[in-house]
Amino acid sequence: MLTVGAAAGPRAKLQLNGVSRHFGAVQALAKVDLGIAEGEFVTLIGPSGCGKSTLFNIVAGLLEADKGGEVLLDGAAASLLGKVAFMPQRDLLLPWRNVLDNAILAAEIEGQPKRAARETARSMAADFGLKGFEGHYPQQLSGGMRQRVALMRTFMFDRDVMLLDEPFGALDALTRAMMQRWLLDIWSRYRRTILFITHDIDEAIFLGDRVVVMSARPGSIKLERRIELPRPRDPALLTTPEFNAIKRELLDAVEEESLKTFAAGAV
Amino acid sequence: MNATLARGLAGGLLLLALWEAVVRLAQVPPWILPPPSGIVATTWSARGALLDAGAMTLFEATAGYAIGAALGLLLAMLLALTTPVRKLVLPMIVLINSVPVAAYAPLALLWFGTGALSKVVMVAFIVGFTVFLNALDGLLRVDPAAVSLFRSFGAGPLGLLWRLRLPSALPAILVGLRVSTVRSMIVAIVTEMLGSQKGLGWTIFEAVLQIDFLRVWAAILAASLISLSFFATVSAIERRLVFWR
Repeated sequence: MLTVGAAAGPRAKLQLNGVSRHFGAVQALAKVDLGIAEGEFVTLIGPSGCGKSTLFNIVAGLLEADKGGEVLLDGAAASLLGKVAFMPQRDLLLPWRNVLDNAILAAEIEGQPKRAARETARSMAADFGLKGFEGHYPQQLSGGMRQRVALMRTFMFDRDVMLLDEPFGALDALTRAMMQRWLLDIWSRYRRTILFITHDIDEAIFLGDRVVVMSARPGSIKLERRIELPRPRDPALLTTPEFNAIKRELLDAVEEESLKTFAAGAV
Repeated sequence: MNATLARGLAGGLLLLALWEAVVRLAQVPPWILPPPSGIVATTWSARGALLDAGAMTLFEATAGYAIGAALGLLLAMLLALTTPVRKLVLPMIVLINSVPVAAYAPLALLWFGTGALSKVVMVAFIVGFTVFLNALDGLLRVDPAAVSLFRSFGAGPLGLLWRLRLPSALPAILVGLRVSTVRSMIVAIVTEMLGSQKGLGWTIFEAVLQIDFLRVWAAILAASLISLSFFATVSAIERRLVFWR
């Protein structure tokens, strides 16, 4: 397991060493070791109830890990609250704020002057496909646009590490495919370190530099697979033999864990 | 004018016509139920006195309303921030609130006299409770996921209150404010009836003693019109402020 933890090398941006978490008698996470290099895009898949959300909340600083494990950011152990840009599953846009003011929320909380933050947001709107919609309210937007506003809010919270929890889970397949390509494009321009949770194996392979498969509960890292597919990636990739070979391999691992969860009566 | 309003007006006019017809045909004595035409005529001829009395009652109701709303909102924000204090104080507040308002009125008259002050205090008391309970409920009923998001952005309790809890609670607060408009008029009038020298409640009380039931009805009409406009004003503000619902 040490080799797994060291996979990103000694200069990992984000490093988890033996991170566990109990809730009463239930063990959600068991000794998770994971390293993410600077600028790397890591996707994480696993059966439902495997503790993905627990892991996310720990990395976001919203939840404490059990004693004995450590989470290091740039090699230092400290509270991560406010140090990583976190995007939850639901967009959680505020209905009383328009697109621009939703996007600047984090910047505003940090004490940036509103006017300057709005200018920055205005200049980013085109990149996020929101040009011309700056003054719209969330309830006037489509699901894909709402998600882009939430992503823009996450990007404007200027942190090196971004945590995305199934951001496209609620979108229809076509919109999702479009959003995936768009996210890769944005990522190549803004260069952040990303940890991305998903249920969708295609999505995990298509986006990631590395796919991490979590085991059934108690969650730990079952498998890591580096994805050497060339970038920039386009949708034709999804039908290539290389892609399918990787998918076959990951599917086996995920299926095995899902069956364990099923046998345990958790689904 | 929208269709709902038009239908409401048509229904109201029909009811008045029916009332007028029944009273005239059955020759109901005016001290039991006067015809609408008689009430309108009396209201018009007594308009000077009614306007004076109405202005007094409206002043008491709105002054008490403003003070009560401000204090209720302030207390709700304070208790939303301090959970241990809230758990200690809230049961007591609910207990005090559960006693019917009118029961406190004689005490208010004893302590604050028969002038406007006792009415303002009573109205502030009732409005304060209504707004407080609505506001506190709204402030505490926020999406826990949104709270987590705000915390991950580094927001503290005050930032949460200002940027998430207050706007989330705005619909609930405005429901409290809207309900309070009518309550403030009721409480002002009831307290006037129990002891005062001015106002619509006093006018009604005095007219009953003088067996002048047309004047009673005229005062009721004036009170209803004032109450309705107060309600409509706050409703319009509500629609403007809570535009996302």
